[in-house]
Amino acid sequence: MTEELKVAVERIGNDGAVLFTKGYINNVGGEEIANRAYELMDSGVTKLLLNLRETKIVNSIGISILIEIIEKMMDKGGKIGFCCLTPVIHKTFAIMGLAQYAKIYTDEDEARRDLALAS
Amino acid sequence: MVADIEIAAARAAGNLGRELGMSSDAIDEMTHAIIEACINAREHSGCADNRIFIRFAGTSTGDGSRIDVWVTDHGKGFDPQEARARRPAPGQVHKRGRGLQLIEAHMDEVDISTTEGGGTTIHMAKVEKKS
Repeated sequence: MTEELKVAVERIGNDGAVLFTKGYINNVGGEEIANRAYELMDSGVTKLLLNLRETKIVNSIGISILIEIIEKMMDKGGKIGFCCLTPVIHKTFAIMGLAQYAKIYTDEDEARRDLALAS
Repeated sequence: MVADIEIAAARAAGNLGRELGMSSDAIDEMTHAIIEACINAREHSGCADNRIFIRFAGTSTGDGSRIDVWVTDHGKGFDPQEARARRPAPGQVHKRGRGLQLIEAHMDEVDISTTEGGGTTIHMAKVEKKS
């Protein structure tokens, strides 16, 4: 039984993007997100929003990969935000320390405004 | 071991929780705890048989419901006190070693039976009272 993660990308201007995830963020899913995020960073994206509206389950390995993405973005001087988390994923992010370095938003509109991502 | 088998285990517990009338938030917390317990067993137990044994018991009481979950491996065992002592405080950035902490945060009761070379059983319970 596998639970494949799907990632969709919306590119916004020269320096922004939103990643929409659907499915389980485990080691494989985390790597898929990282690959897409690193491609975007390499092409100049410095403002990245991850919309997890269609992700209901994460595990600690997947979150550790998300932390690596945040660290890489911070090294580049950029910003990452997360939005539309379930209450349990929000709680898990807080325990893992992810909320210290990436802002977590209730909804996508608020995140876009704060990250200056115009649609 | 089948890929993502922890999802199948968590879904089975979730179905039991729904039958017992548990809230979606309680089921989500239990789901995440079971997943972390299975990952810990798979990644750290060093079990030769490469098997994880999972048992559920659901109880409906007059004032709510309760699900007990036991996740067992036949691996090398570990020292829970040592594991708790070396883990970072909640909220500090630390990439790994959070599994037990997450289990304890998401469940209402957690106890661990483990012996060196004799395997580990994590018993955890989700309890929800009717509001």
